[in-house]
Amino acid sequence: MSQEPIPLSVIGGFLGAGKTTLLNRLLQGTSGVRYAVIVNDFGDLAIDGDLAAEHGGDTLTFANGCLCCTLGDSLLTTLNDLTRRDAPPDHIVVEASGVADPRQIADMAVLHPGLRRDLSIVLVDAETILEQARDERLKETVERQAAAADLLVLNKCDLVARDRRAKVRDWAARQAPEAPLIETEHARLPLELLFARDEVKPAGPGRDTAKGHDHGALFRSRSVPMVRPLDLAALRAGLTGLPPSVLRAKGFVSLAGKPENLHLVQLVGRRLRIHAWDAGGRAPPRRELVFVGTPDMPSGEWLERALYPPVVGTGLDNSGE
Amino acid sequence: MSGITVFRAKKILTMNPRAPVASHVAVRDGIILGAGALEDLSGWGAYDLDEGFADKVLMPGMIEGHSHSMEGSVWQDHYVGYYARRGPDGVERPALRSIEEVVAYLQRAEAEMGDSEAAIIAWGFDPIYFTGPRMTAADLDKVSTSRPVVVVHASFHIINVNSVVLSRANIDADTDVMGIMKGGDGAPNGELQGMPARFLALGAIGRDHFEEMGKKESLWRFARSAQLAGVTTATDLANALPEKTLANLKEVTGDPGYPLRIVPAFLGLSCPAAEGVAKMRDLSAQSTDKLRLGLVKLVADGSIQGFTARLKEPGYFNGSPNGLWYIDPGQIAGTLSAYHEAGFQVHIHTNGDQATETVLDAIEEVLTRTPNPDARFTLQHCQMAHEAHFARMARLGVCANLFANHLYYWGDQHYEQTMGPERAERMNAANTAARHGVPYAIHSDAPITPLAPLFTAWCAVNRKTVSGRVLGAAERISVEDALRAVTLGAAYTLKLDSELGSIETGKRADFTVLGEDPLAAGAEGLKDVPVWGTVLGGRAFPCADIPKE
Repeated sequence: MSQEPIPLSVIGGFLGAGKTTLLNRLLQGTSGVRYAVIVNDFGDLAIDGDLAAEHGGDTLTFANGCLCCTLGDSLLTTLNDLTRRDAPPDHIVVEASGVADPRQIADMAVLHPGLRRDLSIVLVDAETILEQARDERLKETVERQAAAADLLVLNKCDLVARDRRAKVRDWAARQAPEAPLIETEHARLPLELLFARDEVKPAGPGRDTAKGHDHGALFRSRSVPMVRPLDLAALRAGLTGLPPSVLRAKGFVSLAGKPENLHLVQLVGRRLRIHAWDAGGRAPPRRELVFVGTPDMPSGEWLERALYPPVVGTGLDNSGE
Repeated sequence: MSGITVFRAKKILTMNPRAPVASHVAVRDGIILGAGALEDLSGWGAYDLDEGFADKVLMPGMIEGHSHSMEGSVWQDHYVGYYARRGPDGVERPALRSIEEVVAYLQRAEAEMGDSEAAIIAWGFDPIYFTGPRMTAADLDKVSTSRPVVVVHASFHIINVNSVVLSRANIDADTDVMGIMKGGDGAPNGELQGMPARFLALGAIGRDHFEEMGKKESLWRFARSAQLAGVTTATDLANALPEKTLANLKEVTGDPGYPLRIVPAFLGLSCPAAEGVAKMRDLSAQSTDKLRLGLVKLVADGSIQGFTARLKEPGYFNGSPNGLWYIDPGQIAGTLSAYHEAGFQVHIHTNGDQATETVLDAIEEVLTRTPNPDARFTLQHCQMAHEAHFARMARLGVCANLFANHLYYWGDQHYEQTMGPERAERMNAANTAARHGVPYAIHSDAPITPLAPLFTAWCAVNRKTVSGRVLGAAERISVEDALRAVTLGAAYTLKLDSELGSIETGKRADFTVLGEDPLAAGAEGLKDVPVWGTVLGGRAFPCADIPKE
């Protein structure tokens, strides 16, 4: 593959959970990221004449560069078509149907050579979920969806009283104990954090300090410098053992034993990929990891300690890929 | 005006209750003028007497109410099932009773392939009948380590592949995806369950399953498979009917030498209902006498033996978790009503009792809002429906197409694993349907099980499983009723009963030509009655003319 794999995110959740609202925000955004959104039905999308530049059968092209397509013959056909375009999208977002298991779609991205699996975000209608979870026809469907989440979003929290919200949180935590849980309304989420474009920030002076960043009340991001080479086994253990409040981490590190080679680290939910990175003539990126998580995410110093454990043995024997 | 042909037969079973048996049938322009004695028919005018069936028995052309055009595409690959099975060229493929036999069979196939890089694809493998270790990539590496080898299971939901496919699909020990089975060493063992792994593995070797189904050669194989079984009309349940497939369907059925009427059902979940209705309006205007467009199919749940059917309490016998919805139960009524109000008939796949009940709720809601006493909603499979469901179906005018072949092939597994004794014994309850006056048919779901309505009828009559157990004697039906189910019964579910399904004046001259009288063959012998061929619209199609592949 000459081209970097395109990140693919899945938006899951039962009918009425707010998926369409979220997708409308993405398509109308001004972030400069060219999203391709795959939906089951154009029906509920807020597509008006100003935004939609071209309407060609299964695909809508927007003036801001975004695309929206309905599922053609099959998801695989649609994904093949998107990844083989001359100007492929920056990020693909797939809306899972109300009864689909988001894991199946995420798995397509794991296996497809042109794609990289990104977050599976499952929305839950905080107002109706407890009834759905008691309905013998729907119970397993909503449970499976929640269990597939890297991030579980309790939506419509403005419509739900405090004590009921606590019950919804309990239900959600039972279904997806590993996934961070956030509460919102009108599907308001920091899109630039959840559906980022892959980009490499060049190394620059004066920024190698652990620092936090506010994204409204819902998320924090922390940049943690990773200047010293890391032990691969310890890095893997450290990253996969982080608390659920850490949603994702991404960045470049150098590993003990071959510090001159940079490695790209991508943690999405609890899934980790570490692989050697070929700069290919580009300016070398900063050695740092950017963590994104809920407000109770640990501090940058804590994260740094978690990845640079006190040296007991050398650990160098495990540093191969 | 073209001429009249009078066929004389040893016996003609008409399915016409006023005259169940005849000796002659007169045909003009593909339409039956009448059946009876020669003197009853001579008044229609001068005729040619065709004595070719003088030692044969005719019955109405049999109708397969639930099959798939995939029955045509699978036969381009190697059949490796546990039971011997006849291909669309009439040649029987052998039964393969162990993994070693499957490997040896594919090794011989490989040896005949020459130097090409082509993949070896096989289908019909069913490990449910094997004890001992499951098939692995190492087994299939014995077939080839240079070309891809894929073995598709009988369920079509699981595949086994060799190392070449694993490596082309980039599947290794680190691939963290549901359904990629791993061995003790943590490496993928070549068994791929679930849609993503299966589709991408097949994609990696350039096989597009949907494209294969719609190819002309697949549609010809489908027709020949039907002809060999004495079938003159078969459903393709369901098909998204992309342009290319539709063009191929029109072309093959337009050929006077094509021996089958096809009733494709549009796959209603392939697009939103509003788009689907528009597509159906366009499609139904293109119907011909051999290509019947106008039926819609929806799928509510999965399969019982795959543990994906939606069950009510007490759930699966072995404690498996409840199955999957393929459509949001809250959206079934809305989708049904969109097609119903536009005047299109809908068939709905329901296997589990919860799915059946939920769909009946939806049908009741739709029919209360927009009454149509002849809507003929049909539940396909409907395997777990019980007394109260059939009573309700009768009140709502809903038909059932029951999966009688399941009783034989998976009846033992239903008894022991999925349903337990009591529910297994009332599965595919044809007799209960009949008692309540629910119009019913019985089916094969080919290629899931063999396309052969006489065998399907045998299953409904005997309810015998592979092990020989009689699964629910009280639900057995008579030979006469079973033959009616595979002719008029299926025609009724397709709203084709005014032109197909019986041998009487005004109907199309579609006959199944048999070597023996199926009534005389009786319950035991029904499945072994030889099929000579068919007559479609008055034209004879002998099985002996089918070319060998």
